Amino acid sequence: MNIKIARDILIIATIKSIPDLKRQPLLSLILGLVGALPLFFMTIFGAQISHGLIGAMVGSVSFSGLLAPIQDIAGDRYLKIREMLVAMPVHPFSYAIGLSLASLIISSPALLVFVVLALWLGALTPSSLLWSVIILILCWGTLSSLGFIISTYLQKASLSTVNNLATLLGFALTFLPPVYYPEEILGNLSWMALLFPTSNAVGLIRIYSGLLGASVTMISVRWLILLATMTVCGAATLTKARWRET
Amino acid sequence: MFGCKRRLGLIEAVESVNLSKVYRNKETVEALKDVTISIRKGELFTLLGPNGAGKTTFLRIISTQLLPTKGEAYVLGYDVLTQPKEVREHIAVVPQDVATYGNFTPWDYSYYFAMLRGMSKYEAKESAEKALKAVEIWNLRHRACETLSGGEKKRAIIALALASNADIFMLDEPTSGLDAVARRSVWAVLREMVEQGKTILLTTHIMEEAEMVSDRLAIMNNGKVIAEGTPEQIKRLARERFRVVVEGSLSSLGIPEDSSRVTKFGSKWIVYLEDEEEALEIVRAALKKGLKAETAPVTLEDVFVKVVGDKQSEH
Repeated sequence: MNIKIARDILIIATIKSIPDLKRQPLLSLILGLVGALPLFFMTIFGAQISHGLIGAMVGSVSFSGLLAPIQDIAGDRYLKIREMLVAMPVHPFSYAIGLSLASLIISSPALLVFVVLALWLGALTPSSLLWSVIILILCWGTLSSLGFIISTYLQKASLSTVNNLATLLGFALTFLPPVYYPEEILGNLSWMALLFPTSNAVGLIRIYSGLLGASVTMISVRWLILLATMTVCGAATLTKARWRET
Repeated sequence: MFGCKRRLGLIEAVESVNLSKVYRNKETVEALKDVTISIRKGELFTLLGPNGAGKTTFLRIISTQLLPTKGEAYVLGYDVLTQPKEVREHIAVVPQDVATYGNFTPWDYSYYFAMLRGMSKYEAKESAEKALKAVEIWNLRHRACETLSGGEKKRAIIALALASNADIFMLDEPTSGLDAVARRSVWAVLREMVEQGKTILLTTHIMEEAEMVSDRLAIMNNGKVIAEGTPEQIKRLARERFRVVVEGSLSSLGIPEDSSRVTKFGSKWIVYLEDEEEALEIVRAALKKGLKAETAPVTLEDVFVKVVGDKQSEH
């Protein structure tokens, strides 16, 4: 990767996150609370918190990845930062990754708390941590790409439509599939967990943490699906997203 | 051959040849119709026109944000269609109605955007400082934009463009929504930039602004350029060079109120005349009859209304 592109990714991520974190530190807490809310109910109803913590980790990266590009098109109608960047020597790749990275930075304090709690409560093992980070990055990349594809088709949509759809999708991908609850609950339908990048990621992390048993073939299938989803979404973003208007 | 000449140089900062843009949504809109404009290096060129005239579309094509339907456009000899990367190295753009982000400070804007230009941290700091001092908001540099006034916010955005050290600045209605004092301070900054050898392409619908700051301007209407030249040259497009404003009955001065040279605004009448002596004669006659009257050379606004009106009646 070109050094200028990599440097611009970091600058855009900084622009889109640090001023917010400096002046609105509560923003990070609020985002964290969204991911932690299901844990509260799970604790009340006596469910295993370990499942929920892994769900909260995946949920927070997914939510931020998916929502960032969609909400950006709404905000940018007034701020026009993207419009200014299009007319600057900035690569679209820098903008896309920088923007998604910014949302990850904002949700990182909450993510860190979830990871520490998961390690403390045994939901994650130190040896599974590296795999978990890789899986989280892939999940984040997939959801960010999905967000960019959706935002491409929402350029002319009203602000309320954009915000409602973003929130709806976030909930549909993090709260409906087995992200916060174990996929075993679905019984014969547990294969459905593989269809969603979020629940597939949770399943893989649980396998590496020893919370879910799986054959080598099943692990390979899960990896294949996760990588394929990421590749398809990434390719679709590259072909569908438009930097310069036609 | 032609391409070589363009690359060498020379006096054109921006050039468009038969540039056209058609938006095909629910209905087809011809936003630009064969626009041919030439902007020289080191001048402040204004696109003047009513809302929907095609000014923003032109600026967005020239600044590589939007693709044209037809025609050619060059910035410092680089083709905006095929060499957008090269064009972007040399321009800085301030879009229309741009709002500042409340959590950003003027420093954040100038410093980070300078970094995105490829400057080192040191160069970006130096550029940001110079730009913020030029627009006179250096003492507000660490204040969140949400606490700044409208004029200060606009200057923060102009500083962002200035800090880029670009050769050509494209500003889309940079003073819209500002009060007269703030507007004049922005004009002063723009003129200062031109004095330093920068080229500015400005769009506005404010006649006074176009007259006060432009070296040359083009009047646009319905996607077409209908007049181009210096403010003085444009003013000469109207046959009548003087205006007399009379408050009261015009017929008592022997001037028919339905004449094509007469316009009524409330209780005031404006009479357009070719001859200064004739204008002074009407003023004297009006004063003798106890009416309020004054004369002055025609303004750009007078000519604009006339030129745009004439073109519309031709359709």
